[in-house]
Amino acid sequence: MNNRLIKSGIKAFALTSVLALGIAGCASGTTESASTEEETPAAEETTEAASEGLRIAIMPKAINIGYFAAWDEGAQAACEELGASCDYIGPNEATGPAQVQFINQVIQEGYDALVISAADQNAIVPALEEAAAAGITIVTSDADVAAESASARLVSILPSAADRIGTAEVDWVAEEVGEEGSVAILSAAATAANQNVWIAAMGPYLEATYPNMSWVGGSLDSAVFYGDDDATKSVEQFNAILSQYPDVAGIIAPTTVGVLAAAQEKKAKGVDVAVTGLGLPSEMAPYIEDGTIAKVGLWNPIDLGYVAVYAAVLGHNGEFDGAVGASFTAGETTYEVVEGGIAYLGDPFTFTIDNIATFKEIY
Amino acid sequence: MSRLSFSWDKGVALFLVLAVMWGTLVADNFANTSNLAFVLRDVTEFAIIALAMTFLIISGEIDLSVASTLNLASASTGFLFREGLPFEVAMVGGLLVGLACGLFNGFLVTKLGLPSLAVTIATLALYRGLSFALLGNQPVNQLPDFWISIGYGKIPGTFLPWSTIVLVILAAIAWFILHHTRFGRWTFAIGVNAEAAKFSGIPVQRTKMTLFAMTGLMSGVAGIVYTLRFASASPDGAVGFELSIIAATLFGGVSIAGGVGTIWGVLAAVFSLGVIRSALQLSGFSANSLLMVSGGLLLISVIAPRVTEALRNRKPAAAKTNTKKTLREVGNE
Amino acid sequence: MTSLKQLLTAREMPVFIAILVVVIATGVAKPTFFSATGVIDILLGVSIVAILAIGQTFVIVMRHIDLSVGSLIGFTSFVIGDLYDKGYGTVGALAGALAIGLIVGAANGFLVAYMKLPSLVVTLGSLYIVRGIFSDYAFGRTVTAAMVPPEVSWIGLNRLFGIPYLFLIGLLLVAVSGVAMRRLRQGRDLYAIGSNPQAAELAGIPVARRVFGAFVINGAIAGLAGAVMLGRFSQANANSGLALELFVVAACVVGGVTIAGGSGSVWGAFLGAILLQSITRAIGALGIPQFWQQAFNGGLIILAIAFDKYLNSRVKTTTIMGSKDE
Repeated sequence: MNNRLIKSGIKAFALTSVLALGIAGCASGTTESASTEEETPAAEETTEAASEGLRIAIMPKAINIGYFAAWDEGAQAACEELGASCDYIGPNEATGPAQVQFINQVIQEGYDALVISAADQNAIVPALEEAAAAGITIVTSDADVAAESASARLVSILPSAADRIGTAEVDWVAEEVGEEGSVAILSAAATAANQNVWIAAMGPYLEATYPNMSWVGGSLDSAVFYGDDDATKSVEQFNAILSQYPDVAGIIAPTTVGVLAAAQEKKAKGVDVAVTGLGLPSEMAPYIEDGTIAKVGLWNPIDLGYVAVYAAVLGHNGEFDGAVGASFTAGETTYEVVEGGIAYLGDPFTFTIDNIATFKEIY
Repeated sequence: MSRLSFSWDKGVALFLVLAVMWGTLVADNFANTSNLAFVLRDVTEFAIIALAMTFLIISGEIDLSVASTLNLASASTGFLFREGLPFEVAMVGGLLVGLACGLFNGFLVTKLGLPSLAVTIATLALYRGLSFALLGNQPVNQLPDFWISIGYGKIPGTFLPWSTIVLVILAAIAWFILHHTRFGRWTFAIGVNAEAAKFSGIPVQRTKMTLFAMTGLMSGVAGIVYTLRFASASPDGAVGFELSIIAATLFGGVSIAGGVGTIWGVLAAVFSLGVIRSALQLSGFSANSLLMVSGGLLLISVIAPRVTEALRNRKPAAAKTNTKKTLREVGNE
Repeated sequence: MTSLKQLLTAREMPVFIAILVVVIATGVAKPTFFSATGVIDILLGVSIVAILAIGQTFVIVMRHIDLSVGSLIGFTSFVIGDLYDKGYGTVGALAGALAIGLIVGAANGFLVAYMKLPSLVVTLGSLYIVRGIFSDYAFGRTVTAAMVPPEVSWIGLNRLFGIPYLFLIGLLLVAVSGVAMRRLRQGRDLYAIGSNPQAAELAGIPVARRVFGAFVINGAIAGLAGAVMLGRFSQANANSGLALELFVVAACVVGGVTIAGGSGSVWGAFLGAILLQSITRAIGALGIPQFWQQAFNGGLIILAIAFDKYLNSRVKTTTIMGSKDE
């Protein structure tokens, strides 16, 4: 009994000390005041001086993914040009809840701006709104929040209009199969917003443009297989496509993990199916060089990071308000904001045997 | 036995205090109310489920499907809301789904006699699969603003998130049941020796069924909290939470062999892990470091008591553990 | 040699029957499943889990568990490609993987066998630690096809009379382990320890040494199996092997290796892995709507576990290896 009393006493002491520290912290002021101390009103008056010493957080979906290392490269380049200091921070799993923890950190540490690729288009919105309320300029890049929540961020920098990415991929596969045959899609996670938008564009385009081609199973819905951006699952789904639809002519994989898995599996099995999609040139080079893959495409993630940082800094300094029709300049190019608060970079590059040697060194 | 839990529980509480102090020293923006609010909000779902998991592991069982149950409850809530039901009704639906998941687990373990470790790995897949079946690939957003502000916001005039109230109430109830009621004593007795418990008149199967149901219900509550905090219901949420919850529960002094543990210890453990994560983050350590620290803490949580006990008793603890295991195994047949 | 009766009442029979049921039923519904691609795919897809399940059996039979195998195999699959790329050669790369497996296995084994710590907690801890070290080591890099040692990718891509080499490796491992478990004193000791640790101790069996040994061997297997994983996928990154351990445990249980210890065999675990993979493939081939597939998978695994328990509690069984059931 005595032990228990002591135990309970220690528990109470522990909890009270935590609360006490918390209340003590209260007296020292909340983070909101801490961050506004850094962004002085003077910053809005002098544009040049304002870029100096700005602290920007660069947040990928997950820090361990190669694609985002390239994205960060672009961001860091822009930061250097603008004299801002940029920190690459993020979770090691690409989920909303994990990313929220880091958004909280950004708020805690009083950053001036946040450039983020949304790991979950809904889950991070309340956290982003709290960050915005604390005065942090928010730009999404590469992956956006849900359209309904567009007000949570200043602007979104995306590679190309969704339909351009989707329709381009259809064109690539059509080219390779001679414009006839059935096609399947090996996507990322079922909830991956980007992929779903691109796929939605693919459907009507294929039906309208290539009358001799069709989706396996007869409809777009039955043709999509989800590889979850996981090598194992993507390989399994590739095989599922082949076993359910042995006559499939082409497979579109609008995700770098999926297209890599499909290429590898195609080579391993020696099957005769056209594989194309969005691929990192450095990863796809061996398969392009040995003929397994004819063509893949991708935008340059380096650009995505670069332009996003410019948008964030200009937005923070009040030179750019992200409204539809507004424009801003990053480096050599000017970008315009279109409906939905999005600025697009341009058409994706395509990589074939002709240019892969150069690009595989870059990213 | 109680000596073991006594020393480790004291250890964890002390550890929490030390962690908070260390965080204050090491990281600039750590020791203020807004960070405390962040940490509280982060750990709430884990803590709620850990309360129930404590009971379950003390009784000698385990449930690996808790994260999937949390997510299925969340998905059900979203689904019902999307189908047009008022949000409040949808939330009750989510809770009932959580309860149902727990009951199903309980059925498989108590009525069919399947081992809980193995069968909850399977229900982990089943429940997550059902989330996908419900929502397809369309997460549900656009939840009512009122509820989102409860899920994410703070109680006016304080720094405490609303969800903390839910946690405090549930923790108080759990503490009372586990340490001050007959049901709690039954739970311990079953964990120490199920066969002997049965012979002394304790309704072992019924108790275990109730424990699984509780775990399911708590996962459901956590699922609602999760849905509100992230303003959405998605089929692929909360992936991998189960291992963290179990790790925190074990770190809190609940013995995996059953029969030992306290609510205080587990709460202190959950908070400690949240505090440490926050401190590591704010001092610039990468997310990968947290993985290593979690693993290390888990190891320390079992090494330290063993070392202190060995030093104190100079008797091998092996005999005690083995006896318990054999008897428990007999009790499970 | 086992008699026919022994074969039919073997503990592994239910799993084998289940596999036949799944494969035949699916083949009847969808004849393309019987094609070479359909069946060979199962064999190819099963290799990794099957190999890990064999090692896991040694540990589970003694009432322990090793949850760190997923992180471990992911780590070594990456390390092999990375070391080869850095110029250490195939042997060097494989040696590195083996070393990592041995170190982790020995650490787990020491804590469980000699410090008498609960294996669930210890290996959960090492799961986190290894994943953390791995993520830091890999940090955003990917091991790609060009970095895979040619011998490894050759084994990954080729077949002997149509059967993938990767599967044959697993088959060889299970055959050797099966014989070792039955014939070698050390092997039979594992069952004794699992059935009744105290009696085993009193009978003079060096329990701690056996437990330690099992963890070390399991670690070595998981370490080298990184080559199998790399050969299979020709790529590795910080997420490789994530959550694999749960599948491995499920395969063991479904194959009759009970968590309570003391029974089951490596053949059972091997077949269990095949059954799980057959179920996944069958669900894919039958065209069950994508969004229902995981639910079906989980449900069928529950059925498999229940089926196995039911049959084994009704019939007095022996394992294929001849050691008696409880």
